Amino acid sequence: MVRIPAGRSESAHDFDSTMTPMIDVVFLLLIFFVWTAGTQIVEYLLPGQLSIEAGNQAAQLAEPVPEQDFDKVVIRLRWDEGLPDWSINNQPLRSIVDVDNTLQALAQINADAPIVIHPDDEVPIGFVVELFDKSRLAGFSKVSFAINQDSK
Amino acid sequence: MTPMIDVVFLLIIFFLVTSHLAKQESQVQLALPVAISGEEDPALSSRRVTINVNESGELTIANRPVLAAELGERLASAREELGDDMEVRIRSSRLTPYGDVQPIMLACTKQGIWNVTYAVYRQEQ
Repeated sequence: MVRIPAGRSESAHDFDSTMTPMIDVVFLLLIFFVWTAGTQIVEYLLPGQLSIEAGNQAAQLAEPVPEQDFDKVVIRLRWDEGLPDWSINNQPLRSIVDVDNTLQALAQINADAPIVIHPDDEVPIGFVVELFDKSRLAGFSKVSFAINQDSK
Repeated sequence: MTPMIDVVFLLIIFFLVTSHLAKQESQVQLALPVAISGEEDPALSSRRVTINVNESGELTIANRPVLAAELGERLASAREELGDDMEVRIRSSRLTPYGDVQPIMLACTKQGIWNVTYAVYRQEQ
């Protein structure tokens, strides 16, 4: 006569077989969340509202802006042998720290003045965004980019 | 109960994976520029067109290459479909020359799209 081993009842065995797939799936979900959360770097955005003026400025900016024109602040960013070269309203600046200080001083006078960032075509966009960022941090709200109408 | 729970969890995984894939368009691996004043990205907008620009200046929309000359046409049709308040998100490598991003801005201004945003990584102060 065969004896059923005592210890685990049949209902306990059923419970195990019911729970196992669910636990498997829950662990799979956990792995999925950990994997997706761990591999993504959070992105942020810089709102760069273009304006009609920004579009029109493209043509105007082909000519140098007069030095006495303090109604708008033109930040010129040239690319000189692999290095950035900044000037604000034709006043050369040595470093991005000087640009930052000048922008903060100008913002204290008139933060409503429009800022126009005019980079050379060769300038890496990282430097352009840096200027955009500094302008926003200084308190300027009207920041636009100069665009060449004949860009490719 | 087990089959039902299995199916429910499978459905959850399906929806998570599909939403993850939907975001893939904006997840092309690029070394984005860094900014301190970067703002939090609101929920995935259906009125947004994301344009990726790699270091060589190649443009892609929805993982498909686009020539700069075709941008105006593409944005015009997107504007017709999504409305005037559509957003153009520029995702470019920080090393991309400005001259390669310029045509996007020019095309936006020509098409009357003023809501242009730049994807950045946040730099803590």
